[in-house]
Amino acid sequence: MSVSSNISQEDNKINIVVNERFDFSLHQQFRDAYSQCTTKKFNYALDLSQTEYMDSSALGMILLLKDHVDMYEGTLVILNPSDTVNKILTIAQFHRLMTIER
Amino acid sequence: MKEYSSQQKKALVVDDSSSQCAMLSTLLKEEGYEVIIANDGACGVKQYIKHEPDLVLMDINMPVMDGYEAARQIKGFSGDSLAPLIFITSMATEQAFIDSVDAGGDSILIRPFSPQVFKAKIKSIQRISDLYQQVKDLQKEQQQDAELAEKMISDVIESRNFALDKIGVIKQAATIFSGDIQLSSLCPNGDLHVLLGDFTGHGLRASIGAIPVTETFRVMTRKGFSLLDIVAQINRQLYHLLPNDLFFSACFVCISEHDKSAYVFNAGLPDGYVFSESAAIKHHFPSIHPPLGILSKLLTDVELIVVSIEANEHLVLITDGIIEVRNEQGEEYGISHFENAAKIGMLNNDIATNVLTSLKQFCASMSQEDDISLVDIPCSGWQDNLQDNQINQVHIPETYTSECAFYDVSPTWSWHLILTDKLLSTVNPIPIIMNQINDIEGAGEHWHSLYTILTELFINALDHGVLELDSSLKESVDGFSQYFKERSKRLEKLSFSNRKQEFISIELSYFPFEQGGKMQINVKDSGQGFDIYNVLKNNSLAQNEGIKLSGRGIELVNQLCDTLDYQENGTFVEASYVWYNTQH
Repeated sequence: MSVSSNISQEDNKINIVVNERFDFSLHQQFRDAYSQCTTKKFNYALDLSQTEYMDSSALGMILLLKDHVDMYEGTLVILNPSDTVNKILTIAQFHRLMTIER
Repeated sequence: MKEYSSQQKKALVVDDSSSQCAMLSTLLKEEGYEVIIANDGACGVKQYIKHEPDLVLMDINMPVMDGYEAARQIKGFSGDSLAPLIFITSMATEQAFIDSVDAGGDSILIRPFSPQVFKAKIKSIQRISDLYQQVKDLQKEQQQDAELAEKMISDVIESRNFALDKIGVIKQAATIFSGDIQLSSLCPNGDLHVLLGDFTGHGLRASIGAIPVTETFRVMTRKGFSLLDIVAQINRQLYHLLPNDLFFSACFVCISEHDKSAYVFNAGLPDGYVFSESAAIKHHFPSIHPPLGILSKLLTDVELIVVSIEANEHLVLITDGIIEVRNEQGEEYGISHFENAAKIGMLNNDIATNVLTSLKQFCASMSQEDDISLVDIPCSGWQDNLQDNQINQVHIPETYTSECAFYDVSPTWSWHLILTDKLLSTVNPIPIIMNQINDIEGAGEHWHSLYTILTELFINALDHGVLELDSSLKESVDGFSQYFKERSKRLEKLSFSNRKQEFISIELSYFPFEQGGKMQINVKDSGQGFDIYNVLKNNSLAQNEGIKLSGRGIELVNQLCDTLDYQENGTFVEASYVWYNTQH
């Protein structure tokens, strides 16, 4: 699986990890990783440390995740993007839209 | 589709045994087929080419050419149609089954079989074949629709661009539709607006937003809206139009030959560049805002980047497709390859061709994954024709004075607008005024000069009157961006000012005469005033020396106006613009 997620109900946390290529082919998998989680005020972390490549449709998927998080009043943080991935996030100025921790 | 299924279907039977042929023929005819017979593989292939049957029944062991070879050849000819082929054999072995599939057979039928089993087999294979044909037809239809839509979209988008011959362009779409668009349009004051944008994804899905963006960009540019107004409007439009995961990365540029400056707003594209005449990178324009269509409003702390430019320089914009091209080894083309190719191109006077050649060499036989776009804009030279026109437009009829004196008494209409405090920083009155004029008097070439006059008078009243900016700031080359920064700062303050009320009042009166007309323009501001004569005197001096950058606005207005009179210490200006219809 290229997308894996790990929900910890006690800590109100969900951790999503995307491996290698983050592109349109992961659309459904990526959605499935968080769409079941409808608890309010949850803390979402998207770990991109294993992601080697990301295209613009991946940015779109992150925006959909952000919508989901906002709808359930949660928080979202993007963790440890690699240099390549961070370059793409910077060009899209995503740090203006969400928290990115390196 | 109906025609296809109502025709009598043909079946080709290839078998060296005439009794087998006769038996299969009878069964096939009972099913409504017209039957063609061949007694060896080679003959079978010939008959296939001649009759293009809907179904082939093939024996395996035959003289001259066996069934496997005949099947291979037939499949080689059948091209786009499925042409189902069934092997008929008494060899009930695993190997026969595997070989027949390898040779291209779609099914195998082992003798002996009952007529019912045979007919069932034919039906099932024909069902698959029909389905295949349906898919093929749909695919063809879709392809035609897509080509038509693509043609329409590119007609709307590219063919109406301004100065196509002057602006260098690379545009290569990964699929039939490109998510990339390139627009150029001329402002009423002669500035050039250029947009390079990239919608998320590819194909029709990525092209939907292209038409509204194009229309908005063109209409607002033509009406004289500022670059930032246009960016804000396109963002608003796309925010409502596009689904949440679709967005538009774009870089907007306004080049003013007159101010020798470029204004850039990069929302989500890779760095834009200014290359100097000697091919050095003079400026980078990094992305300063998330792509458009994501946020309901533009971020408020983001400003246009302003840089000064020289006539021989080039401004270059690219989409990420160029940087992300990969070669067979999986390496990215990358920024440094691109910059080098562009520099060499700058020296050879053809950036687009040079970058394209370099890209092709780099990726060799690899196919491109993303749309590839580049625009190369020369910083001058695209408005030669316009300036000639403008000179013709201000031709003043000899008889105007007496006529004017007569009409001066009562204008046919007048119009008055007063903007105060915060509105001075948020509202651009010029497009509003031009709209009014167009609504009342209709469109006309002579309004272009009026637009320039109004813009310059309003900017003077705002910058030097209300904001009390010193135009000497603009004198140095870097001063222009410094001036622009100071201006934004003071505009910001206007919104919170508790002092006296600041205002600019603009009043228009229109006097028609038989073959032209006169527009009387009065502009009053709340500032302390400035020494207009000094500015003008300096200008004439400066023009001779060819060095000064500031104050050209008033000089231009002076040339375009019939009368220009600054009063009340420079806080009130009375201007009149006269035109004469050259068409009789």
